[in-house]
Amino acid sequence: MDIQSTVDLLEYCERENKTIAEAMIDQEQEKSGRTKEQIFEMMKERLLKMQNAVDQGLTDSSTAPSGISGGDAVKMKAYIEAGDVLSGSIISDAMACSMATSEGNARMGVIVATPTAGAAGILPGVLFSLKKNTNLENDDLVMGLFTASMLGYIIANRSFISGAAGGCQAEVGSATAMAAGTIVELKGGSPREAVHATAMAMKSLLGLVCDPVAGLVEVPCIKRNVIGTSIAFSSADMGLAGIESRIPCDEVIDTMYDIGKNMPRALKETALGGLAITPTGQKVKERLFSKTGLVNQLGGGKDHASNNHGQSDSSVEPIEAGRK
Amino acid sequence: MGYNSCFDIIGPIMVGPSSSHTAGAVWIGRAAFELLGGSPEQVEIQLFDSFAETYQGHGTDKALLGGLLGYDTEDERIKLAYDLAEEANLTYTFTFEENCLEYEHPNVAILHAKLGTKKVVIGGASVGGGLSKIFRINDEKVDFTLSTHDDLDRIIQSASELVGQ
Repeated sequence: MDIQSTVDLLEYCERENKTIAEAMIDQEQEKSGRTKEQIFEMMKERLLKMQNAVDQGLTDSSTAPSGISGGDAVKMKAYIEAGDVLSGSIISDAMACSMATSEGNARMGVIVATPTAGAAGILPGVLFSLKKNTNLENDDLVMGLFTASMLGYIIANRSFISGAAGGCQAEVGSATAMAAGTIVELKGGSPREAVHATAMAMKSLLGLVCDPVAGLVEVPCIKRNVIGTSIAFSSADMGLAGIESRIPCDEVIDTMYDIGKNMPRALKETALGGLAITPTGQKVKERLFSKTGLVNQLGGGKDHASNNHGQSDSSVEPIEAGRK
Repeated sequence: MGYNSCFDIIGPIMVGPSSSHTAGAVWIGRAAFELLGGSPEQVEIQLFDSFAETYQGHGTDKALLGGLLGYDTEDERIKLAYDLAEEANLTYTFTFEENCLEYEHPNVAILHAKLGTKKVVIGGASVGGGLSKIFRINDEKVDFTLSTHDDLDRIIQSASELVGQ
């Protein structure tokens, strides 16, 4: 058993009368030789690490070592608690949890890559919001992670999941697509509805470039994670409404691959294009890495970015207010 | 591209900020550590393309050193790798190049590491989600997937004869 397309996946689920999550567990059992219980426990460990990252991030208002991110999750949480949120509690809580995770990632905190660290905020965002706002419990969320990993498995093997290889569409795009299908399945939708939601989410992010300021997984990555959660919920709602993607999911994934292949190198995590080379982006880079020209002579760059935990590098000036 | 398990997609558990530029790089360094049987005394690290452009922001340098010190991807000591390398008497040099002609991928590192009389060259590409491909060990072309301790054991088993004395 090795599912390589959403067509294979739906065939399996419909023939065996199983969910996407169950299909993932079946495949993992067969490939790894581990028992269902072992596999479940391994996934549960990951969920608990995600929960830790969310909990920490929601109370940590410190700035990342770079000085260009941090503190927004706490702001978002306070805004939600003030009680007048436009996008409702399910999306706004997802936004806060996502931001908490991605800010922690920028601080070199412990996170779970889903499927990458750059996109690590989206799944915890939607899962812990669902936990807070519906009757789902941790074990349900673990099953959600199996749904997500099956969808991600197909995407990763047909296309790519790293920004360096395929742009942000491959990272935030893949994570958002995985999250959309996961929400559908956790809400009791069919595998077919989940696959359509996956396709619709991915279509919304096709073409998105990877252009991190100074090469850091912070600007614009953190906010793209946050907004990915709302695209995931919108796509899931369409899927649950019975709305179908007119382009089949496998073809959408293959399109992501083609677009990524054609994307210029400057827009694939090299920090040589896009937002990274805006005047403000350039200024940040110069401030942060003004000493990197010396790295070769110094034999390693001890001089730069001494990312001491939780403290701003004293040589780093804060980003200009105008940038926000 | 060689993803084999749900834990290649949901995972690794890791210190941030980048699975391809941090966690995948830890594994490449770790492969050298395991093949040498300890932290090298001296290592020359070649970084290519996206690794060379963005290593500072992603901590790729610290991740490689962390791996060379024998750490796992979730070890919070990685962010202190420069200081800890110094304590461990590990000397290092970094060089930066554009495209790697040996292996077509934007995230490539080649490590030339020495410990006592042992030498090892490891070529690795971090392909995303914390998964790396080892494409070279010394002068041999190889093709190993690396994202778990089991993978590491497999590599040591089949490659230890390549590590010269």
